[in-house]
Amino acid sequence: MEKQVEQINLKGSININYEWTAGIAGSRFFHELKDHKRIMGTKCPKCNRVMVPPRIFCEECFIDATEWVEVSSQGELVTFGDSYLGTDGSMLEKPWILGIIKLDGADGGLVHFIGEAEPKDLNLGMKMEAVFKDEREGNILDIKYFRPLK
Amino acid sequence: MAKRVAIVSVGMDKFKGRKIETAEEMIYKVAKNALNRAKLPPEAIEAVVYGCAVDAFTATTAAEKVTIGGSNARLKPTMRSCTSGSTAISSPILAYYHVASGLHNMVMSVGFEKMSECRPHAQHVFNTVYDEFFVRPIGLNVPIQCGLEARRFLHRYGHTEHQMAKVSVKNHGNALDNPYAQRGKKVTIDDVMSSPYISWPVKIMDTSPTTDGARAVIFASEDMVYEITDDPVWVKGVGHCGDSVWFMGRNNSDLGRLDYAYKAAQEAYHMAGIEDPSKEIDVAEVYDPFTFKEMQHVEALGLCPEGGAGRMIDEGISLREGKLPVNPSGGLIGEGNPIGAGMSRLCWAWLQIKGQAGDCQVPKEVNTAVCNGWGGMYQYNAVMVIGRD
Repeated sequence: MEKQVEQINLKGSININYEWTAGIAGSRFFHELKDHKRIMGTKCPKCNRVMVPPRIFCEECFIDATEWVEVSSQGELVTFGDSYLGTDGSMLEKPWILGIIKLDGADGGLVHFIGEAEPKDLNLGMKMEAVFKDEREGNILDIKYFRPLK
Repeated sequence: MAKRVAIVSVGMDKFKGRKIETAEEMIYKVAKNALNRAKLPPEAIEAVVYGCAVDAFTATTAAEKVTIGGSNARLKPTMRSCTSGSTAISSPILAYYHVASGLHNMVMSVGFEKMSECRPHAQHVFNTVYDEFFVRPIGLNVPIQCGLEARRFLHRYGHTEHQMAKVSVKNHGNALDNPYAQRGKKVTIDDVMSSPYISWPVKIMDTSPTTDGARAVIFASEDMVYEITDDPVWVKGVGHCGDSVWFMGRNNSDLGRLDYAYKAAQEAYHMAGIEDPSKEIDVAEVYDPFTFKEMQHVEALGLCPEGGAGRMIDEGISLREGKLPVNPSGGLIGEGNPIGAGMSRLCWAWLQIKGQAGDCQVPKEVNTAVCNGWGGMYQYNAVMVIGRD
């Protein structure tokens, strides 16, 4: 029966706009980033882990994490990915690079762009540093990218 | 005391890149196929459990509502499980719980996904699954996350791109014998190695396609299973768990070792009374959206020693005719990857035990099989062990 039916495709879209709260921890984190170029984490009073991105509780101990500490804007390259696939699914000629950077003084770190480097320049475990934007808006893109430590 | 639960049927239909059927029509076909295979009337099913991974694929939010008609679930208890990609197995686990609880005698589990409809590509939907404050503005997507994790996995254990390519050759080739497969083909290691990178070390031919498809599985209680079959295939063990959504909050923050998958497997094997899966499992259908995922999962599932996945494919152990076949159906890479319908891994495990896997049947006696599902922001795993007594 299906073979006799010519497929009809109906076009449409779902457009939904949002205005998200950044949360208790996220709001503080982005204020500090914008106003002071500081990367802040929260510390668990029990296991002493410093969480970046910050959270108001420790997932492991499951207690409040209310102490804020500044962590370094330098850290270690945990891993990186050079992607030839654009976010729209198209193939790119030149890759873009993302990495996970574990920040010094933190048990966590950030996923971010890697700049001023090509994949061949990068090794797991190498030291990286954040490059901040001059005009910051209070979001994660206030960090332009991480680059190999100069 | 939990009831023993058997799987008495599976519902199969062709996976395709673009199916004319709506989600409801796809579900009807596999539900009917499962009922027919076991010669059961629709009213025998007391409750239905659904699984699909990402609502946005299904042209509507709250996708589960379209499943009721197609699975003959009107006025029956229905429930949805969603753990992203691991829904493929966590949804059948939920159906198992329904019967094991003693509250239902026969329950159907249905998994589906219609991935072909988003324009210009399914990646647009995947891009929306990430955290909106710290990750999505950076543009992290599924392919690049592959690179982040695969690079760490290869670094940690010394596996190679060449070994990944062999998994691709195996699974594409196995799917040639799978009548429901989207993408069976004969490919060479060179074909895989020369295909474009999506993110080192992962190449296009290391990945599964986007797929439209559905699957069904029928679970029955020990109280009445012998009315249906003299040869029940029991659910012997289940295990599932999720790790933190925050990359650096994971139990193992180096990302190369999937602690959550090891834990899910340990739970399932403990329940099944399996001490050495590499000797006691006869065949495995593991979640392989990417070649390196099959490698991570055979290690986490204990089918080889930790760090032994490269050797497993190098020595041909995981080939269909090998000592411990992995994805003799072609897996997600060869059969297709309609995420919630990745439940096909469970279906094929059952077909292998029943000796009904056709040209995909492994050339050995099969009594015990394992399958798993994986998903989220690379953070969930669900494992099921099935077999004869």
